[in-house]
Amino acid sequence: MFLQLVISGISFGSLYALVALAMVIIYKTSEVPNFGQGEMSMLSTFVAYALLVTHSHSFIFSFIGALLFAAALGIFLEFVFLRRAKDPNILSLILITLGFQMMLYGLASWKWGADQRDLPFPVSDFDVINLGTAVISYLNIATILITLVLMFMLFLFFKYTKVGIAMKATQQNVMAARINGIRTNRILSLTWAMSSMIGAVAGILLAPIATLDPNLMLDPLLKGFAAAVLGGMTTLVGAALGGYMLGVIENLFGGYISLEFKSVVAFGIIVLVLCFKPSGLFAKHYVRKV
Amino acid sequence: MKKKNWIIMVVCAVLMSLVFIPAALAERGVTDTEIRIGQWGPQTGPAALWGAVARGTGCYFNMINAEGGIHGRKIKYFLRDDGYMPPRTKAIAKELVEDKKIFAFASGVGSATGMAVKKYLHKNKVPWVGPAAGSTHWAYPPTKYLFATYPLYCNEASILVNYAIKKMGKKKIAFFYQNDDYGKEGLYGAQLALEKLGMKLVAEVSAEVLDTDLSAHCMKLKAANPDCVINWLLPKQGAIILGTAAKMGFKPQWMTSSTLSDTAVMFKITKGLYKDVYYTCFAEAPDSPHPLMRKYKEAQEKYAPKDRWGIFFYAGFYFVEPMVEALKRCGRDLTAEKFIKAMEGIKDFQGIGPKISYGPNKRQGTSASFVGKCGDGGKFLRISDWMPSDINVKQVIKRAYNR
Repeated sequence: MFLQLVISGISFGSLYALVALAMVIIYKTSEVPNFGQGEMSMLSTFVAYALLVTHSHSFIFSFIGALLFAAALGIFLEFVFLRRAKDPNILSLILITLGFQMMLYGLASWKWGADQRDLPFPVSDFDVINLGTAVISYLNIATILITLVLMFMLFLFFKYTKVGIAMKATQQNVMAARINGIRTNRILSLTWAMSSMIGAVAGILLAPIATLDPNLMLDPLLKGFAAAVLGGMTTLVGAALGGYMLGVIENLFGGYISLEFKSVVAFGIIVLVLCFKPSGLFAKHYVRKV
Repeated sequence: MKKKNWIIMVVCAVLMSLVFIPAALAERGVTDTEIRIGQWGPQTGPAALWGAVARGTGCYFNMINAEGGIHGRKIKYFLRDDGYMPPRTKAIAKELVEDKKIFAFASGVGSATGMAVKKYLHKNKVPWVGPAAGSTHWAYPPTKYLFATYPLYCNEASILVNYAIKKMGKKKIAFFYQNDDYGKEGLYGAQLALEKLGMKLVAEVSAEVLDTDLSAHCMKLKAANPDCVINWLLPKQGAIILGTAAKMGFKPQWMTSSTLSDTAVMFKITKGLYKDVYYTCFAEAPDSPHPLMRKYKEAQEKYAPKDRWGIFFYAGFYFVEPMVEALKRCGRDLTAEKFIKAMEGIKDFQGIGPKISYGPNKRQGTSASFVGKCGDGGKFLRISDWMPSDINVKQVIKRAYNR
């Protein structure tokens, strides 16, 4: 029982980790928690569905198509809405992201309706490997691996590529970055594109399990946000670890303490973390940018 | 002089009131040429799947109008999208009653949405037939203007329990439900049906509406080792739990409420796991040779070709069949009071659902459902006749709401 709860927790935790990563990447540059994140990945997942099922392209083609769409969507939203905001404070930016959320939700409902759909995925959730008393499905393994690979790629990107370093510079100090010749606006667009793509991956991995409809990311977004708060909104590694931790804690709580209150755990964690360590468990120190 | 003015004013007032009296006496929502009927239904938002009910009713009314209407009057239908949000339902009820002056409300998806306007409609004496939810809120206690056609969730659950034990020889039944009125009324129905047989549920597990990871739930169910699990969920979780169970090698007989009786959709989103799942249903199978079903299907092809011919679409026909019948029985001289009398006179009326009867103090039309089974490729197989439920609804209400 324990092992199974942990395995399921890690597998769902990977999805929370992806959502948390997507949130943190944007938060670090734009300083806004993007509440449109969930709907952005939901819409990208629908694009994958349209390419795969409606237009019967191959999975790889559809997957890449959805990622490109996600990137374009991220750039579009940042360029058309966020950048236009005059003297934005955080609250107005949050409101803009909530606006995205409603807009994209409406768009998906209008285009695809409310019927539940099945997104075919090349890896099955029903074929399993037995690990003693517990099982893990191929889809779970794929989810965990893809998340790890993505995280590793992000690490390499921020550590070794020029663009990645420029992005970090922009995150730390926009003015200084601009003075040093970094085109910060482009960097901003790029962060939105990256974040949106990571979100899309989470959506595509979740849809085969949870069925695809406009509400796909409702729950994972909240959990991803909780994970990011838990791990620290300013650290990529922390946010990802927060995702895994949340998945496992939630499942153990449901398994051993109370199923009724399982879904409240995430919110309890937000409250506790904000009370005792507002920067998150893994953030080294809380620096307010001036 | 002042007195004279006063007299003139009184005379004017009397004359003016004479002008307005005929209008006040005329029945709200009924004119020489039309009967105005409204419905709310989620066309967007989390419950939009059931928006088909309201469109089905519209299609039904189109069909009736094309046949010449009811006693020379056409039905003018007002469909409003409330997005499954009770505050919006309230605004819609107010708009349709006070502004559009409708005669009656037809169906309307949702318990929470319906509850938000129940009192208001009663106060304004608006007849309301066939709320699209099987909770006990509508007919218990009975109120004058509200008639329910959806078999109660607790009745459905008891029918499934009896079928599992008496027909299929199942011995250990577990219940997996959504933690709200819908799930709980199903749960208590199952409990009571089992108690009558001197048995008990081996596990009762609940889930919150938004939960996407159901592995802990599934393990709780599996630990009780049931040979039959009855699900009282929404389609999304209904699909997730089947997937999770298949992954964990947990293979009981699955059963579900009528909410998940759209086998074509369920089969697809469960990647075929829905095959051999049993469920209750309140209206004929989609491919039924029943003459009314064929007629309704033609109407759908004609008036709503974009809609899918699924259970929720033609539920919109079923829920209001008694309403149309009562409107016909009222004759040309239609008033709300007369309509209520006609509704109360409906006995053993049958359209595409079970037999429906109302009475002066009886507002729940039926307790019967039939059992269906999902066949190959998501085919809807009807495997039983209409079966009434014999549990005491009052006990369910006592357990659920302590009243």
